[in-house]
Amino acid sequence: MPQERNLTGCSAAAQAAKLAEVEVICSYPIRPYTAIMMELAKMVANGELKAEFVHGEGEHAQLSVVLGASAAGARAYTGSAGVGVTYAFELYSPIAGGRYPVQMAIADRTLDPPGDFGSEHTDAMSFRDQGWLMGWACSPQEVFDNTLMGFRIGEDPRVMLPQAICQDGYFLSHIPDKVIVADPAQVKEFLPPYKAPHSLSPTCPVSHGPQIRPDQGAPMDAQRAATFLEVPKVIEEATADFNRIFGRNYDPFLEKYRLEDAEIAFFIQGAHANTCRKAVDAMRKSGVKAGMARLRWLRPWPTHEIAVALAHVKAVGSIETSTSYGGAMRGGNLIHELRASLYDLEERPVVTSFMAGLGGETIWPEDFHFMAKVLTKMAKDKRADQYVRWLGFEAD
Amino acid sequence: MSKKLPGYGTITVPQEREVPFGAITPAPVRQQDLFVTSNWRMVRPVIDQETCTRCLTCYIVCPDACWSYNEEEDQMEWNWKFCKGCQICIHQCPVECLSPIPELDFEDGVHRLEKPF
Repeated sequence: MPQERNLTGCSAAAQAAKLAEVEVICSYPIRPYTAIMMELAKMVANGELKAEFVHGEGEHAQLSVVLGASAAGARAYTGSAGVGVTYAFELYSPIAGGRYPVQMAIADRTLDPPGDFGSEHTDAMSFRDQGWLMGWACSPQEVFDNTLMGFRIGEDPRVMLPQAICQDGYFLSHIPDKVIVADPAQVKEFLPPYKAPHSLSPTCPVSHGPQIRPDQGAPMDAQRAATFLEVPKVIEEATADFNRIFGRNYDPFLEKYRLEDAEIAFFIQGAHANTCRKAVDAMRKSGVKAGMARLRWLRPWPTHEIAVALAHVKAVGSIETSTSYGGAMRGGNLIHELRASLYDLEERPVVTSFMAGLGGETIWPEDFHFMAKVLTKMAKDKRADQYVRWLGFEAD
Repeated sequence: MSKKLPGYGTITVPQEREVPFGAITPAPVRQQDLFVTSNWRMVRPVIDQETCTRCLTCYIVCPDACWSYNEEEDQMEWNWKFCKGCQICIHQCPVECLSPIPELDFEDGVHRLEKPF
């Protein structure tokens, strides 16, 4: 029977990894993700989970171990946060290029300098173009669910790609919420065992990761890019199956909250969406037609779904929880692709961005009300006067 | 939306340029002929069999295992498919029987490997 429990995002990830029967786990501590590995280590020690638990000597080693484990045919699981994510950087492309569907749990933490333990999406966002599937949860329940969906989508023979299953550090990783922990039978129905197409084997030896030549590089890039064209279909199928088996109601790519008749909308990913929803409700009560679009998958980016969902809106503000210093809009990352997605609409919303929730700061309801005022004015003027506003750091 | 949004196009890799899935290939027994990597060599080591003492120093020092000893012929053999022309063997040979000769001096010089496989 499914059980309702009070779990943090970290515990939820560990519970889901256990139900997915991961076979090789590689850990290295860095807060705030560490609790995932603490829980899994206990499960392995207690005999609840039959998995090889490897202590990596660093994040580069962690990703190397899961690469090897996946090549040997195991379902492999690892994770990190902040500078740990960037220390492992070299491995992201070979793992995607070698088509190893490992899963990495990321509980976001700011990058240095200097050490700030707070949540910020810049760590994972920094490897968004390395060929991984990447998405953010907004609740411990969604962390649990995305962990299972990640394995199902990544291990699909049409996909065979690694997955970064991200959650905001602290806001999700450390704050408990109600989580329905699925029944093992449900998980078995949803997630077939991992079958590596060419696993390392002494009886049928294969060569992984050989040196290739320049004229072989482009075809490999093209093959990976072609796979990404197939991924959305697989995500749709997996989400539909997940909703049916577990009784949820996820949109595959975009949570649309009160968007149908919205005149202004927030574009957001991650846990701050919970405050955003409440703020939208309050705005609606005071007659402001606000809505929210929450991104569930950053890679692959749902270009068409975003265009369709926001076509009728007058002004959109993207809430940036990552930095892109010197980027086109001099703020965060999301607005670049958001604007690009809306560009081909005959009538498109005006778009701006808000730098908020950086370094672990909370985005308060009053922040959303301030942003709503900016967006309402933009809708009236039919133009954005600024690409970006750094909340709390603007001259009056 | 009255206007149709652009698509992503299609990506088709011609059969002759296809690379095995994830570049995973049958394991080589002796050498990986699917990924020949010698096309950046500028000089190749040429052996003087008269001077060579079969001490196997070249066999030990070569980072790409391009030297082997042919027992039947009692001589060292060089593998052109993987030698990068690093010249370590030339510098380490105790009897100086190896010489660096530019690739362009050979009729079959500078392997360009037009086809992937």
